[in-house]
Amino acid sequence: MKKVIGLVIVCFLVYNSVYFKKLSEQSASESSKFNFVAYADSIYNQGILKQAKPIALADLQKELGKNTENAFSQFGNRLGIGQTAYFMVSVDGTVLNKTVDGFEVKTTDGNIYPIDIKFIFGNAIRDASKLVKLTDFKTNADFNKVSEELNNVIREKAIPAQLSTLTVGDKVEVVGAIKQSKKDALPILILPANITKL
Amino acid sequence: MTFKSFLTLIIITVSLTNCSQKSSEEKPKVAVVISTLNNPWFVVLAEAAAKNAEQLGYEAKIFDSQNNPAIESDNFENLISSGYDAILFNPTDADGSISNIMKAKEAGVPVFCMDREVNSNDAATSQVLSDNYSGCAEIGIEFVKSLNGKGKYVEILGLVGDNNTWARSGGFHSVVDKFPGFKMLAQQSGDFDRNKAMEVLETIMQGHPDLEAVFCGNDAMAMGAYQALLSAGKADKVKVFGFDGASDVIEKIAEGKIVATGMQYPIVMAETAAKFADEYFKGKRDFPQRVPVEVVLVKKSNAGSFK
Repeated sequence: MKKVIGLVIVCFLVYNSVYFKKLSEQSASESSKFNFVAYADSIYNQGILKQAKPIALADLQKELGKNTENAFSQFGNRLGIGQTAYFMVSVDGTVLNKTVDGFEVKTTDGNIYPIDIKFIFGNAIRDASKLVKLTDFKTNADFNKVSEELNNVIREKAIPAQLSTLTVGDKVEVVGAIKQSKKDALPILILPANITKL
Repeated sequence: MTFKSFLTLIIITVSLTNCSQKSSEEKPKVAVVISTLNNPWFVVLAEAAAKNAEQLGYEAKIFDSQNNPAIESDNFENLISSGYDAILFNPTDADGSISNIMKAKEAGVPVFCMDREVNSNDAATSQVLSDNYSGCAEIGIEFVKSLNGKGKYVEILGLVGDNNTWARSGGFHSVVDKFPGFKMLAQQSGDFDRNKAMEVLETIMQGHPDLEAVFCGNDAMAMGAYQALLSAGKADKVKVFGFDGASDVIEKIAEGKIVATGMQYPIVMAETAAKFADEYFKGKRDFPQRVPVEVVLVKKSNAGSFK
């Protein structure tokens, strides 16, 4: 019995002296105790779903064509300095087909837009929503954690649930974030925040 | 006290007072304190900051902290006692540099951080920083696409005490960790240094000859990693990703030898920090605490426009 206990203790000590822990995990464990999961959940459910006022993509494109600066300042959000901004847009249409990265929507005027459900990452949806201020957080790391948790809520929970009932030919409204540049024409790629079957 | 001694005392007092006050015609002095000048990227940042300050009509001098917080501290003490009026600052450490900023603040000298963040909201007058997280999330997406969602990789981090290191790593992992087909073989610091990164990767490759990709926290390390792979005859098998937008890496991306990097804009950061100092001298006090500067993904398809 003593030998068994001794072996367990030795195994425990050996494991704790050599086990692999990412340096990034070490750093993250030292960060603040703020509940980012609950905060992101409320930003999504109380903010994006209830308060966000997306502009119809076709209208945004007209506004961008008429007066780019005005369209960026009125409908877009760029934190700090840069040529691009994120916009919260809506698209009504029919599910044309499913792709490796998501699906495509065909609008009544014949335009086809890709909806990317695989790569919902970065600050696109957080910034397009205009609901989170940089000054609300002490460090950029905390501010970015909001994006990470918000993306998790959308990518891991909301969108899979909404997609489960979706088939080709369904009529849908997709609300999501796009990135546009004042300098170069960027292709329209919608990161969805909410998909509603019409 | 005789009248002669009294007069002498008055003359000395007046002289000393004049010594400590800047004449109205003297240009304000701007110090540019840089973490290290042993990296071309920071040389660009330093020179752009000094040039912008001079163009705005100020005297500017560059101080090199040699990635050493003790030297940085000496630099601050020297420049405060030498009567500098503002500091354009690239810190060596997110926590360790705060006390230096506070010393300047107590002396009434505003500090504008460039590129590297400190973990305080009320030390620096403002912090102009690359949006490292978003930039590396985009690199992460390119990484996943380029490796078709699976592979064994190594991450070479920058300086462990620098927030940029963790913002970049965090942005990258926020994407890559969502794809279970990826396995990180090792994560080690290369201190943002080309030679160190080369040595780190050489050592890692001995234990993990099957690696398929390397993500580096800056372009100097990406070049070091590429060099190590070239020496091992693996340069065409292992995909390298960097961050910074250094000209040698852009060239390698155009040639298809490195996959992608994130283009930072040191000149924009330096220009903004110098402009803020100018506005401070003219009386402005209300500055945003943090100003993110966009990072642009550079890959083979758009490398030509950055050359």
